[in-house]
Amino acid sequence: MNNIRRRYVPFMKAGIQNLVIYRLNFLGFVIGGLIYCFVMFYLWKAVFDSNGGGAFLGFSMTDMVIYLFLSNTTGQLIFSGVSNDVGEEIRDGSITMRLLKPVNTDLSYMFTELGTVMMKLVVLLLPMILGLETYRYFISGALMFSPVNFLIYLMSAVLAYIISFRVNLCFGFIAFYVKNLWGIGILKNSVINFLSGSLIPLAFMPDGLRVCLEYLPFASMSYTPVMIYMGKYGTYEMLFRIGIQIVWAILMYGLSKLIWFGSIKKLCIQGG
Amino acid sequence: MRRIWKIYRLLAAQNLKRIMEYRADFLTGAVSFLIDQAVGIAFIFIIFTQIPQLSGFTFPQILFIYGFSQIPKGLDHLLTDNLWCVGYFIVRKGDFDKYLIRPINPLFHVIAETFQVDAVGELIVGFGLLIYASPDAGLHITVWTVLLSVIAVPFAALIYTSLKIMTSALAFWMKSSGFIIQMVYGMNEFSKYPTTIYSLPVRIFVTYIIPFAFTGYYLSQYILTGNDPWFNIGGVIVISSVLFVISIFIWNKGISAYESAGA
Repeated sequence: MNNIRRRYVPFMKAGIQNLVIYRLNFLGFVIGGLIYCFVMFYLWKAVFDSNGGGAFLGFSMTDMVIYLFLSNTTGQLIFSGVSNDVGEEIRDGSITMRLLKPVNTDLSYMFTELGTVMMKLVVLLLPMILGLETYRYFISGALMFSPVNFLIYLMSAVLAYIISFRVNLCFGFIAFYVKNLWGIGILKNSVINFLSGSLIPLAFMPDGLRVCLEYLPFASMSYTPVMIYMGKYGTYEMLFRIGIQIVWAILMYGLSKLIWFGSIKKLCIQGG
Repeated sequence: MRRIWKIYRLLAAQNLKRIMEYRADFLTGAVSFLIDQAVGIAFIFIIFTQIPQLSGFTFPQILFIYGFSQIPKGLDHLLTDNLWCVGYFIVRKGDFDKYLIRPINPLFHVIAETFQVDAVGELIVGFGLLIYASPDAGLHITVWTVLLSVIAVPFAALIYTSLKIMTSALAFWMKSSGFIIQMVYGMNEFSKYPTTIYSLPVRIFVTYIIPFAFTGYYLSQYILTGNDPWFNIGGVIVISSVLFVISIFIWNKGISAYESAGA
């Protein structure tokens, strides 16, 4: 255990330093996300107004605001840049340096990223929760924050991160075969945005589609934790959803290992 | 002028050759943008399964506005994508030297160097939606509305380009300004939907400060109603020209502040 700590903590520190150095870029993405949330906020407000102001498919406007901002923040929190990192390293060949080190390749990427995730937790999630609860307090006149839901949300978000990391790792491995990672990145983001419900809550989708999407790994990536936070699930359903998350985390772990062992032998580095 | 056109053709031909060489890359890029758009449209579609009208606009009208907003965006994306690279790394790595030592205008050279075919995803969706939505959107079609709208499109694209020139030029002072381009460019989200859904401060912001409202809503508003050509079309032309002049000014200031990177 001590050994593992000695080996991987430096990666984590590097991750934190990276975020601190590129803080302006980080800020850019955060502000970009917020702008997007505000556009969506106005759009949903227009939808609710056009609908007569009442609840829309079981969501009140307050619910919608919480959903929008929290699913965006959760998305940022569990965001994994590993597909770019791994892709770049495969493309420019620097992955060989990583292969030479006496560390587990996946874990070294993961720990680098855990550093940034922890920073985001403090500078992003906590202020957002505070803001949203204040908003909810002013709208409803009662404090509706549930510490239990928040703790389960965090647990579910950890699982979400593991799935997100593995899915992105698989995407990164595409670099073994295709060189235009940038286009694939856009594709990946919009597909995940849609399928994970961060664009439209899955609850709003036509029934057949909704049921399918709820079982796909993407719903486990931000929809499940956010719905838990909002208290939309009963105890039984909550356990069931977390169960699905665990299953996907294991499956995606297996898949990423499978692709890795299948592809690493094919590694072909261009130029020298 | 003839010389510039000739250089542009040569550079564009180089680009096309590169694209033909890496066909799979081109396809992934274009398909990715296409799917990105499809997701946005699916969103509108799902909303309209629940409500008949959004702030007084029907489903075809919303699609029309959305589609129209993608054409200037796609046009700018097609022609000036290299500005992103200036902001992200060309200046930081010192590669901007290359543009300064050639006997053509550096801004023109930067822009002419890349011909970003990924943009066909946006253009296909834009034109597709216009064709699909036009019959039911209740357009006000006269020679004037059509002619003026077509003339206004390049000016609307110029709003995108000017904002990109300005924000990428900040890299000359800051070394890297990618995140600012990202932030300002990201506000084009506002152009996809009727500006009337926003609150007054936001509306003023997207009309006069970061004028993306002119690249979508006001343009479509004119061809939808035929009202206010002075504001809807004239506004695009005036605002884009003013922005362009400012952006050129900032760009030129930036170039004189440029210091190459050390070896």
